[in-house]
Amino acid sequence: MRRLPAAPQVPMSRTPWPALLLLSPAFLFVIVFIAFPLGSEVWFSLSNAQIGEIGTFVGLSNFVYLARQGTYHDALVNTFVYTVVGIGAKAILGMALAFALARPFRGRRVVYALIFLPFIFPTVTGTMAWYYLFSNVHGAINYALMAWGLSRDGIDWLGSFGPLPMTSLITVNIWHGVGLFVVLLLASLRSISPEVLDSALVDGARSRQRFVHIILPLLKPAFALAAVLSIMGTFGDFAIIHILTNGGPANHTQTITHMAFLVALRDGDLGTSAAIAFSLMPVYLIAVAYMLRTVVSE
Amino acid sequence: MNARRLGWAVFLGAMVVFAILPLYWMLVTSLKAGKQQLVLGNPWWPENFTLEHYSGLLSSPDFGRVVLNTAVVTGTTAIISLVASTLAAFALAYYRLPHSRGIALSLFASYLLPAGVLFLPIAVMLTRLHLTNSVLALVVTYPSLVIPFGTWVLWTFFNRLPSELLDQARAEGARPLQVLRHVLLPLSMPALAAVGLFAVAVVFNDYLYTFTLVSDPHSMTLMADVGSNLVDIDDPGPTFAEIMLGVAPVAFLCALFADTYARGLGTGVVR
Repeated sequence: MRRLPAAPQVPMSRTPWPALLLLSPAFLFVIVFIAFPLGSEVWFSLSNAQIGEIGTFVGLSNFVYLARQGTYHDALVNTFVYTVVGIGAKAILGMALAFALARPFRGRRVVYALIFLPFIFPTVTGTMAWYYLFSNVHGAINYALMAWGLSRDGIDWLGSFGPLPMTSLITVNIWHGVGLFVVLLLASLRSISPEVLDSALVDGARSRQRFVHIILPLLKPAFALAAVLSIMGTFGDFAIIHILTNGGPANHTQTITHMAFLVALRDGDLGTSAAIAFSLMPVYLIAVAYMLRTVVSE
Repeated sequence: MNARRLGWAVFLGAMVVFAILPLYWMLVTSLKAGKQQLVLGNPWWPENFTLEHYSGLLSSPDFGRVVLNTAVVTGTTAIISLVASTLAAFALAYYRLPHSRGIALSLFASYLLPAGVLFLPIAVMLTRLHLTNSVLALVVTYPSLVIPFGTWVLWTFFNRLPSELLDQARAEGARPLQVLRHVLLPLSMPALAAVGLFAVAVVFNDYLYTFTLVSDPHSMTLMADVGSNLVDIDDPGPTFAEIMLGVAPVAFLCALFADTYARGLGTGVVR
């Protein structure tokens, strides 16, 4: 009679049930709050659903309708400008700040916390404060400019035609978002050995070469993660636009996310709103593909 | 060389001023006596200093409720997210499922979905279920914004730990959840802290969901309260005192852990 085999050294379960059980809470949230809504949104975009009505299938007519709307074109261009300029500025400032914070100095921890603070400070409240800083009626910035004699009547930061309102929005986006670039780049910088870092940061042509050929490649994965998270976050910016300009003046700062919100909640038009929201999907797919190549491949 | 260091110091100083400018302004406004602070006086200095808005808040039941709601929503979101993400990441790292990697990556990809695509169907769904207008709507929605990325972060972190740890625990006959509790979790504090902070950041930075899901004043978090009532233009002091007292300390405390946050989130990308 053969002896029973000893319990296997690695009690790897043959059935996937224990693993699935552990995965189920996470899957539940993903199915109910991501997969199902995504499916609903696809249906909305292909239907004439209104608030309270499931609607009927209308094919691509929401998209055709949108393609003829000037306001939609404005929103696309504005979202592009807002995101590209915002990300560019956050990346450059974030890189500079990471280098500035890389070496120890007195009070470094507090300075670092203050730089990171806007990222974790409730966006609604911070944006509310910016609204009163930018306000043209006794706004704090205009007050200072007028007190120093730099401007006679103050500047209409949020309500004028031209690039100024968008610049103000991007400023607040940078204020909020630069901290993410700083923390990820700094964490990456600090894992580079101090000698290598120092040799690349002194003056001279050779150190510049070292910087470009040694330091930057080491920072690339952290940079890619920060960029992808920041781009998708910037697309989703709602508080900043809603509170500062509400898309105005005359649609000059309307963005895709904010327009999808307005069309759904003001007009009750779920179909058009969903079609608007889906216009960000191509960028999303590119971001995911880029992420898979840069960050995840090891 | 000295000029160069001075240059960096000036740059850092300017960026710190930029970062705290709106917070400083809120603090000043919350410390001004009387009303009409938004149209009168120096916006940069509290000429007639007072703590009356703060003492008024402390005796107001509304403030207590708003802070309690905020704490409940943030705390519950963090706990649900941490538990669900940890279990899922552990399942993906410990059991060699055929598609562990694919599942982890899909979770990450689902986190990146544009917010504009999901908020509307979620609002429609929760309205049908009669869940809107209670903190419950937020408590069930927010974890779905944290868990996918949280699972990916923890999964990456678990995978980076030496595999002998798991092999040894298995060889000693430890059961899976014992391995998680006694071997993995004690080593994973930085990653768990990062996911917790990430949950706080998600709740604090959201406006789209609070705005679409909650309009009942009794269920409002501080973010929803400030956002929907905006500011009483005649009497803004209490609102800014509410922000300074209700969320600023928590935000600053979280900010002190910026390094932990970065190392946890960046596990896969920071060597």
